[in-house]
Amino acid sequence: MSAAAERDQTVLAERVRLEIERTIRRGIKGVEYLGSPAAVVGQTPKEVIHKQGTLNLYHYMPMSDEIYRVPILIVMATSNRGYILDLAPGQSFVEFLLKSGYDVYMIDWSTPSPDEKRLRFEDYTLRFIPECARRVRERSGEGELSVLGYCMGGVLSTIYVALRGAQDGVKNLVCFTTPIDFRGMTLFRKWSDQRFFDVDRLVDATGNVPSELIFSGFDMLRPASRIASQIQLWDNMWNDEFVKSYRRFERWGNDTLPLAGEYFRQTVKELIWKNALYEGTLELEGRRVDLGNITVPMLHALAEHDHIVPYEAAGPLIERVGSGDKQQIVLKGGHVSIAAGPNASKRLWPRLDAWLGGRSV
Amino acid sequence: MAEKPPSDPLSVWRELVSQWEKSVNSVANESMGSDQFSSSMNKALGASAQAQHLMTEAMSRYLATLNLPSREDVINIGERLQSIEAHLTRVVELLEAFPKSRRRRLVRAAPSMPPRTKRPSKPGKAE
Repeated sequence: MSAAAERDQTVLAERVRLEIERTIRRGIKGVEYLGSPAAVVGQTPKEVIHKQGTLNLYHYMPMSDEIYRVPILIVMATSNRGYILDLAPGQSFVEFLLKSGYDVYMIDWSTPSPDEKRLRFEDYTLRFIPECARRVRERSGEGELSVLGYCMGGVLSTIYVALRGAQDGVKNLVCFTTPIDFRGMTLFRKWSDQRFFDVDRLVDATGNVPSELIFSGFDMLRPASRIASQIQLWDNMWNDEFVKSYRRFERWGNDTLPLAGEYFRQTVKELIWKNALYEGTLELEGRRVDLGNITVPMLHALAEHDHIVPYEAAGPLIERVGSGDKQQIVLKGGHVSIAAGPNASKRLWPRLDAWLGGRSV
Repeated sequence: MAEKPPSDPLSVWRELVSQWEKSVNSVANESMGSDQFSSSMNKALGASAQAQHLMTEAMSRYLATLNLPSREDVINIGERLQSIEAHLTRVVELLEAFPKSRRRRLVRAAPSMPPRTKRPSKPGKAE
């Protein structure tokens, strides 16, 4: 046998030995996994400074000796919990911002109560966010703030800034994966086709739209991915770090929130059926939402492999806003991983810091 | 010349799983984009919503016979709590409207914050 072939055999034997060892560890860790408590998330120290029904406003404690003058208000998507941006020390967008010298606030949503089924876009954009912005200005002692919205939080932020940005002292607007042209949400649009989907019947029957329905909607976009990810988990069960990270994301994914009934009805009728935000025909309390009214500096970050909000849905936002200082970046990653995945700390976060820092003084 | 490293015994299986995931997602997305799928899905959804509605009504009647609070009762309590919460918010707002010197003793002060003097490491280089 040649020396090379002998070496190959040794390496292969070592590889097989490693696989056997991992298989044993998978068995042991698998049993531990089934009996272990839920992953701990959202550990960055914070104070709840305002709560009103489904709305929670957090103020995160500073982690830097010197901070930028302009505070940031993060508006989380209404369908998911904000701890996706604060998964764990070292894997937390919020922690990154604090360590980079920002004063960070977050609007996080909890399950709307049955009587909150009446909440509409008007409540979110003309009452909740303005009230939080007022509190941020007062607490920080600054007259200006930056607003950062994620997914539907970006839609709400965009509407808010278009209607009240100037009067509320919004200095910068940042959006992550924010849909604006709902023709681009092809499957969601198909599933809620006006010919087949009776949104009134659903909302009238359920009040708030159950989280199971929202969760299934997201899950159905990639029906095989759940099974594939469980196979991947088993394959990596020997790796504690992988399992920890998997559990955090899994917990978050399963923690989908119900949506307020009227808000869901408006989303379907106005945004999906009429595409009113893109067309410029959306009216709230008699005022037309004109994206051209957004004139503050704006950054929109999109994910290259976003299966929830594809480029066709998010891309047109930057064209529609009236800002002279605006930028769109498309980064590798998916809808969630762009903001919270292991590579976000190398891709999105430093890009955001480079853009926002100079505009936060 | 560098020798080709021996292959990972499980890499083929991993690649197969990845391919399977992609192809199933792709085929499923195609069929789920049809009118037929949308129609069937929404029929099922409508029936399920109706069933849930009827179930809720039946459950309310059942709870009433057991002399237990119904969902409506719990909602009413929730609404009253909501109203109390709204009142508290208004009280806090009134307190906040006090002059700062008088308010300090009444409301919790914000934590002491570092100076707001930070500037980006490369001044004037906003992207």
